[in-house]
Parts: sequence; structure tokens; C-alpha cells
Amino acid sequence: MNRREALSRVSLMLGGTLSAPTLLAFDRWNQTAPQNRINGASMLTEEQREIMARVTELIIPKTDTPGAVDAGVPDFIEIMLRDCYAKPAQDVFLAGLSDLAGNRFLTGSADQQTTLLKQVEAQAIANAKAGSVSFWQLIKELTVWGYFTSEAGVKASFDYQPNPGKFEAIKIKPGQKDFMYGNQV
Amino acid sequence: MNLNINAQKAQTFDAIVVGSGMTGGWAAKELTEKGLNVLVLERGYEIKHVEDYKTAMLDPWEFEHRGKITTVAAEEHYASMFFSAKEGSQLNFTNDKEHPYIQKRPFNWIRGYHTGGKSLIWGKHTYRWNREDFMANAKEGLGIDWPIRYEDLVPWYTYVEKFVGISGQAEGLAVLPDSTFLPPMAMTAPEAHFKKSVAQKLNRPITMGRVAHLTKPQPWHTAVGRASCQFRNRCTRGCPFGAYFSSLAATLPAARSTNRLTIIHNAIVQEIILDDHAQKAKGVRVIDQNTMEVRDFYAKVLFLNAGTIGSTSILMNSKSARFPNGLGNDSDQLGRNLMDHHLAVGARADIPGFEDDHYFGARPGSLYIPRFRNWGKDKRDYLRGFGYQGGAARADWSRGGTEPGFGADFKKKMTQPGPWKMSLTGFGEVLPDPNNRFYLSPDKTDKWGLPQVVFDADFSANDRAMRKDIMNDGAEMLEAAGFKNVVPYDNPAAHMGLGIHEMGTARMGKDPKTSVLNKYNQVHTCKNVFVTDGSAMASASNVNPSLTYMALTARAASYAVAQLKAKSL
Repeated sequence: MNRREALSRVSLMLGGTLSAPTLLAFDRWNQTAPQNRINGASMLTEEQREIMARVTELIIPKTDTPGAVDAGVPDFIEIMLRDCYAKPAQDVFLAGLSDLAGNRFLTGSADQQTTLLKQVEAQAIANAKAGSVSFWQLIKELTVWGYFTSEAGVKASFDYQPNPGKFEAIKIKPGQKDFMYGNQV
Repeated sequence: MNLNINAQKAQTFDAIVVGSGMTGGWAAKELTEKGLNVLVLERGYEIKHVEDYKTAMLDPWEFEHRGKITTVAAEEHYASMFFSAKEGSQLNFTNDKEHPYIQKRPFNWIRGYHTGGKSLIWGKHTYRWNREDFMANAKEGLGIDWPIRYEDLVPWYTYVEKFVGISGQAEGLAVLPDSTFLPPMAMTAPEAHFKKSVAQKLNRPITMGRVAHLTKPQPWHTAVGRASCQFRNRCTRGCPFGAYFSSLAATLPAARSTNRLTIIHNAIVQEIILDDHAQKAKGVRVIDQNTMEVRDFYAKVLFLNAGTIGSTSILMNSKSARFPNGLGNDSDQLGRNLMDHHLAVGARADIPGFEDDHYFGARPGSLYIPRFRNWGKDKRDYLRGFGYQGGAARADWSRGGTEPGFGADFKKKMTQPGPWKMSLTGFGEVLPDPNNRFYLSPDKTDKWGLPQVVFDADFSANDRAMRKDIMNDGAEMLEAAGFKNVVPYDNPAAHMGLGIHEMGTARMGKDPKTSVLNKYNQVHTCKNVFVTDGSAMASASNVNPSLTYMALTARAASYAVAQLKAKSL
């Protein structure tokens, strides 16, 4: 179902019809939805890219639902580093990857990798101070943000409701998936 | 010769409205509906209702940066990047780099230079001011007395409320007079508990926020193409349903349907053209922001609705032999008594329990706690008061960014609703102070050769004293409800302007020696110029001001048309 159909249904539920300009506008949106892309050369080496991908997958692994790599999180992080962070944060990120490379992160077993990341997390928490950012904070936040806003992540994780149509207090069952409305971004 | 006369005729209207936002839309609607041919001049680019809300229907994954702020956008939106530079809505906020201003003292000047102005991006909380708001200056000997009282505005409040559509609950409180309401939005379970606890233990009433959203559209709303709120809460991207009030969705379509409306975009008003001898405005001189072409437009009456700073800047820049310091500025009041609401102060808490409670939908509104300080018998060591907006919600997946842990269990946990949290944000009244002001730079200009605005204003000792109460009273109420980890907060990075409720700088008053506008928003000394946006305000109240601007505009438009018919303008 594309946007035009979805909205037409909503308007029927509302007991009305949408005007021709509104429907035309929906068509135009369908044609102009931006596509994720990476322009130009990566700032990361092949090894760094591999380490980054592995770390994101350890943060959000593939289970009965897609993991970080399935959801395109590594590409998203590169875009974010390039466009949303200044050099100091980029340098912190690259240094964090180099530290993991120095610890032969990629050649370790899954358990060893998890143990190493737990140390990285513990150090980041112990050394956290206002006004500075650690490699762990960066990669953790970007992985969570990238995964839970990706199409695969949203659809697998939540009861996605882009057009709720109402607001009401409700009761939920233990373990029930959360709703997502798409207004967080 | 004939050619010139024809050209002048083609550019002559009954009325010119400068600005297409919250009040410009109302001026256009009222003046066209009363039979005038109206030209609306909008300085910014055109945004077409619905079809130009290009991000409104996008899913999160369709944004390249998933809504985060890029370094380029942050640089372009230096007034306050926190929401104005966000990927989904930055086109609806002004690029400060292209439209620079000067901060002698820090000021967050957040603008919307496009069709609809800030009505496209406003917070939509909509409240009547109360009787005391219009009398406090006189009682306390501060600033000057308002030339009108609450009673003067009541019929106009009622009139605009019906057309706007305001959801809310009637409470019968003198401190927060009721409007004509559509059904209120629902409270979450902890909010209902909070309301009950605070009423019982502290005797403070709490109501659902009164917001300009159609919860039950009436025939006059659907007649201009508006529909019900869909509870998407993506409002700042523009609402394709026209569910919240904006000039784009409501007043401009109403004006257009009269066939007496002309809108010209990209038209920056440089100055008012004055007939010095008659002490009347003849029209306005306009620069096309793209072609730099200069054109003149003429009319019998002018309405300035360019936003507080915009309207006053135009008056300041309109100099003549009669008005060497700016049009209507015999009193030297232009630019003075700049006010806002101070905010980014309050308290937050964790809410234990309520695990099986949740909500369906994204609510574009919050609770409202009306002023209780310096009200009735309560007396504090500062003047005026504050209200709160706030609410209780469950933490969502984004808590995972800072919550320790990773792996399969962490991933699963983030797909379930997090703990409940509540936050209260105060909105405090700022007092009129002639030294809080803006002026036009004597040497710095923008790319159109117009002088840049210089801000020289800050919060006062009165504001700082009030902020202590905002924190403590907020914490007290959260504790009264049994909430835990209560944290009062006061953000030191918030400057004047962040409330985006700029008021004052061309105030109304009885005496031309101390005010710029009379009780009908007419320039005292240039009667066919009306200014009906925030610049007219003589004090700031502590509630959101847009409804009062709208009521003043409808009232002034009615008066202007009557005066035109009586040939008194």
C-alpha cells in the first residue's frame, strides 16, 4: 500500500474525501522520497569498517528479528559521522576503532569480543564527563538510533502506527511490543 | 504619463497586510470578508498548504539522517538549532545565516520567513489572558497601563476561538478564563493521578492543555478544507490534514474564497511610504528577495503583521522629515520593552508503577497548570507569575542510547515500553523594561541593504527569583503525586527569545507621549497604519499570546473598515 492509498483510506475513515491537490501532493511525495546514499570516499579503512560492523552487530544482534548489519546500521553511522559530527568526535570514533584493532578484536571469538566490549563500556561509564564524548557513547547511540529508525528495525520491533487517528489511555499486557509513531525523528 | 498612472493603479489596493502568519492571516480574512481588496506581502518563499509539506508523510527511515541535525544545518540555524535545524522541519524555519542578526546580549530569534510564518510551527497552546493581565501594569506602576481591558476583548476572543477550533476543558477559573472549546485531548493514567493528587494535597487545579487542534471539526472548519487531528504529532513538518490552526490551513483559504485576496511572496517591505503633509501612509516600498527589484504598492490602510521584531523594524526604517526616528516614534518607544516568556526551567521525575498502563497515539499537547503564585492571597517577593506545561509519558526505544548494556536481551528490552517519566516546564511572565530592547544597526546591513537587527535584552532579577519558585513548586507537585527521583532543573543556556513569544517594542497605550499605538492598534500619529502582532503588547502575561494577537487583529480590522466607510481614515 503506498502513501496515496493509505491516506485515501484514512480520509474514508474520517467520512470525507481528500481534494485533488492533496492526492497529487501525495503522489509527488512518493516520487521524491530520499534514498540513503554514501557520497564519495569512506573515511574508514576496510578493517575499520569491519570492526564497526561487528561492534554494531554485538550491540543489536540478529535474533528472530534482523540485526544491526541487516538494517544497514554501519552505512548509517558513516553518513552520520560525515554529516553530523565535527572533527573532534570523528577523531574519537576513529581512535576507538584503532584501539579495538590493536586488541585484535576481529580475530577473537564471539565471547572474547563481548568481553572486550564490556570492558570498553565499563571504561566509558567510569570516565564519562560532561562536554566530552567517548567512542562507546558514539557507537552505542548511533547503533540504537540507526537500528530503531530503520525500516527493518521498526517493522520487526514495534507496532508501527504512522497514522494513529486517535489518542487514548489504554491497558497493555506484559511483554507487549511498544508502539511507534514515526514522530521521534 | 498615462502608463505611469495605470501602473500605479495596478499596484493599488484597499488594504495592504504585511506578513502572512498568525495575525496577517487574520487581517487578510477579516478585511477581505468585509469587502476590501487586500494585498498580502510575504517576505519569504511560498509554501503551499499540503503539497509543500514535503516531509509530513515520510517514515523515519526515509530521512537520510533520521531526523538528526547536520553540522551544516546547525550552522545555518544558530538562533536555536534544537528543533529549528531538525531534518524534518528545517525548511519551515528561517536560515539565520542568510538572515543574520546581531546579539549585543544573547537572543534566540527564531523565525518563519515563508507563507504562514510561525503559524506553521507554533506550539498551539491557546489561552485567553485574564482580567488581571490587563490591569497589572497600572496596579503595580510598571510600564504603562493597557488602553483596553479584558472585557473589550471578550467578544473578539469568542469570535476567533470559534473559527480557530480549540480543544480543551472548561474549568470556570478566573486565572485562566475558558474559551469556546472542542473536546479536550485525553490524559494518560499517571497524569490523571497527578491531577487528582495535586488538587487534593496542594489545592492547585490542573487542566488538559488548550491547543488549537480540531478534535471534533465543525462545519466552518471543514468548509475551508480542515479535518480531524490524526495524533501523529509531526506538526512542525506541516499538517496535510489542516488539523491544527495555521494561516495556511484556515485564514488564508477563507480570505482567498472571497476573490479579493492577492498574495505576493518574496516581497520584503523596506519601508512605509509616507505622505508627510497629511501624516498618512500611502503605501509600502518592497524589495524582491530574489531579483532585488524594488516596487511600490499603494493602499488606503496598512496592517503590519510581520512579527514583533519585523513590524517594529519596518516602522523604525520608515524615516521622513516628520518622523526622523522612525514612523510613529515621537515617544522613543519603538524597540523598547521587548518581552518574551522565560522557560527551560521546571522539574522532572520518574513515575513508579503504572506498568500495565499505556496510550495509543502521539498527542500534540500536554497538561496545563495555571498560575497560582501572586494570585488571590498568595504574595511572593517577585511580581507576576508563571504556569506550567508538561506531561507523563513512557520512555521509548531511544532510552537505549544511554542505558547500559548491549546484546540480544538489551535489544528485546528496547522493543517494549520503558518506565513512565514526567516533566513540567514553566512559562514565566517577563516584565516590561525600557532597557530591554532592539534597534537597527547603524552600519551592518543584510544582503538586501536593510539594517540588521541588534538585540540588547536579558532576563531580570524578578525573572531569576521566579525561576526558583518554578523549580521548587514543580518539584513539590511531583512529590505530592508520589513520584520519585524528582529533579528540579534550570537550563542556563536559555536566553530571551527561546520562548518565541516576542512581545512589546511598539506598545499600545492611552498617551502618545509614552506609547506607539492607540487602543485600536492604530499608530497614534499615523492613523491608517495598524500594528496588530506581538509588538503591540504592553505586558506579557504568563500564558501563550497568539489568541490575544488574533483577537486584537480581528477587532482592529473591524474598526479599520468602519473608519474607512465613515471616511475617517
